[in-house]
Amino acid sequence: MKRGIAIATIGAGLLLAAPIASLAQAPAAPTEPGPQTPPMVPPAKPGVFTATKKGPTGYHLVVTGHNFTSREAIEHYLAYRAAILTQEQKSSWFTLTENHAKGDTVPATKPDPAGLRYSFRMAYWRPVWRYKTAGSPAWKTWSPFSGTPFPITDPKSVSDYEASADIVLHKGQMNDADPLAYEAGAVDDWLVNQVSPPT
Amino acid sequence: MILHKRLMICAASAGLMAGMMPASAAPWVRGYVVGQYEYAFRYGGRPDFTRGAEIEPGVDCPHGASVHFANDTQTKIAVGRQKYRSRQEVEWIAKPPGLDEVRAPVLTRFWLWARAVAYRGYKRDIETYVNPWAAEDPGQPQVTSRIGDGFNLDGKVKASDFISPDGEKGIDNNLYRAWGCDAPWRGNGNATLDLRANDKMQDGLYTMVIRVSGNKDPMNDDNATLEIGYSPDKIVKDARGGIAVDYSYRMLQSAQYTRLKAKIRNGVVETEQVEHLHSPRIAWFYDQTGDANFSKGKIRLNMSADGLTATGLIGGYRDWRELYTENTFAQDGAQQGIREHEDHVALYYALRRNADGMLNPKTGKNDGISSVYRIKAASAYVVDPENLAMEVPKLPLDEKRMQAFLAIKANTINGAETRVPQLVPPGTTEFGVGITEGLMNGLPSADFFMSTLYRQHYAGEDEDGYPEWMQEYKKHPEGGFQPKKPKKPAATPPAAQPAKPQNQVQNGDKQIANAKP
Repeated sequence: MKRGIAIATIGAGLLLAAPIASLAQAPAAPTEPGPQTPPMVPPAKPGVFTATKKGPTGYHLVVTGHNFTSREAIEHYLAYRAAILTQEQKSSWFTLTENHAKGDTVPATKPDPAGLRYSFRMAYWRPVWRYKTAGSPAWKTWSPFSGTPFPITDPKSVSDYEASADIVLHKGQMNDADPLAYEAGAVDDWLVNQVSPPT
Repeated sequence: MILHKRLMICAASAGLMAGMMPASAAPWVRGYVVGQYEYAFRYGGRPDFTRGAEIEPGVDCPHGASVHFANDTQTKIAVGRQKYRSRQEVEWIAKPPGLDEVRAPVLTRFWLWARAVAYRGYKRDIETYVNPWAAEDPGQPQVTSRIGDGFNLDGKVKASDFISPDGEKGIDNNLYRAWGCDAPWRGNGNATLDLRANDKMQDGLYTMVIRVSGNKDPMNDDNATLEIGYSPDKIVKDARGGIAVDYSYRMLQSAQYTRLKAKIRNGVVETEQVEHLHSPRIAWFYDQTGDANFSKGKIRLNMSADGLTATGLIGGYRDWRELYTENTFAQDGAQQGIREHEDHVALYYALRRNADGMLNPKTGKNDGISSVYRIKAASAYVVDPENLAMEVPKLPLDEKRMQAFLAIKANTINGAETRVPQLVPPGTTEFGVGITEGLMNGLPSADFFMSTLYRQHYAGEDEDGYPEWMQEYKKHPEGGFQPKKPKKPAATPPAAQPAKPQNQVQNGDKQIANAKP
């Protein structure tokens, strides 16, 4: 049935192809696409982002804040900074190193050489978290590989947080079969209009 | 026909000069008209495959060709990536409720999908095909085979390079790696866009000619010349639909012309590598036609001993953003994508990450991707025009469409460089402007879609949402426009719909200023 619909769709498209192209004529009036100011992510306050060298081409990245907005917003900012750091170091892509621990229930991510290839897959950008709740001096940790749900359900209850990731920088042709590989320029382009440093 | 005869006389004199001389140490000329022109992709499926399935696996593509938008499941995946869409929106796009109520259900679904997939950016109001960088990478099947046609363009042998069928290492053809599994370009001589482009070329959209000349033996000459260029003369077919041989074609020394030094050994012409190799582009609409402009380009041509046919490769680095726009905006990204089961966002990212040449010193990134095109040609008289300054003729009726293409191409490249989302300029059919609206009448869920799915608006649209340049289309019998009918009850109880669609963006909140056609 699905195949039947697909074929019918192709047929419809082919039928339409010529009339649309030949009849859709219009002068190309100058467009006004709005402000052309290149986007810029505001600089982070000191201490919000740190990158510690780890091995010849590795870095341990940490984003720290007090006002928890959302998991996605903070993790995206960390990914953006990873992309910027990669380009600053004259590399073109980076890989995320997953730090699995004993007892984790989420399996390690494996490359699929025969599968689809990507420039980046945000679904596999999974930093590790630390956080403190109001009134408690102790840090609590959470790993995305633990199999437990993300623990911060009430943003107001969090007084401090850290999201961290270990990355390795690479040059040359990207290994796009690796789901943990990220093309720095593509990640930068996709996130530059979306992220801002945490506070 | 008069022109043909005149050219025949002109060319015949040149031919006589070449043909009546001894086989060696005499001036000679061989001309060809290109009858097939396509990307040099090696199909890895079964040789006897004749579209028995859409996703035939092979050594080139282990899981077969791309299946983007091939069915409601694939479309659901594509629109499900945007977190601003409600679950209901995703479900309803994939399977529009009440589709059986409309006159043309398949067409309505097609253009409803076109509207939805044209907006997949990080914000609901960013058009995807003009701003592919603003959408997440949907993923593309890529060629995993090590065998590929082409040239060693950079003089290096890298681990990622292909090996030619003859065993030559270091072959650079990353366009094959990036797009070789893309459905409309993958096939055993039956890829849909290959067929379409060749059909249009053979029907007169453009003509490409090659002239090889020298002073020794046509099969062995170490000081030959190869010229390639555009001809204003339409391809002549024989009675069987093939390319008729030995007709005359003028070759313009225009922007699509290159003269290269060449060496010939046993009928194989190898040209020098030049900084810019100008030749016609692959095209199936007038708006795509123009100069391919291969950087560090070269040509290899195998001439048959009888001179009747030639096959070969033309390669070099092509600007990958130009390749993207040429493939996306012949019509519009969503229409071609849904019809051909390709996703231009995936193709954009595949080009980008496989770019391997034309290093831009300002950005430090590669603007080019190694690309190889395959040519098959038939014998022809290739002559100079009487007016050597003659330019490639324009098609007045299609010139407005060409200008719209150039405008959207400029916006796309500008957006990719500045990372400022661009609007779609007037004159295109992007996001099914007007078309989708015209097909919604009679669909019980139309109100939901029209209030939920964003689209850019233009000044001067009529009450049905058609801008001025779509008015002719609206009148066309196949235009899909259906007069409004009395509303029928909704397909599902009202309680199932959200009181207010989540993350709704009001249509009409962004207009192009001064966009008077």
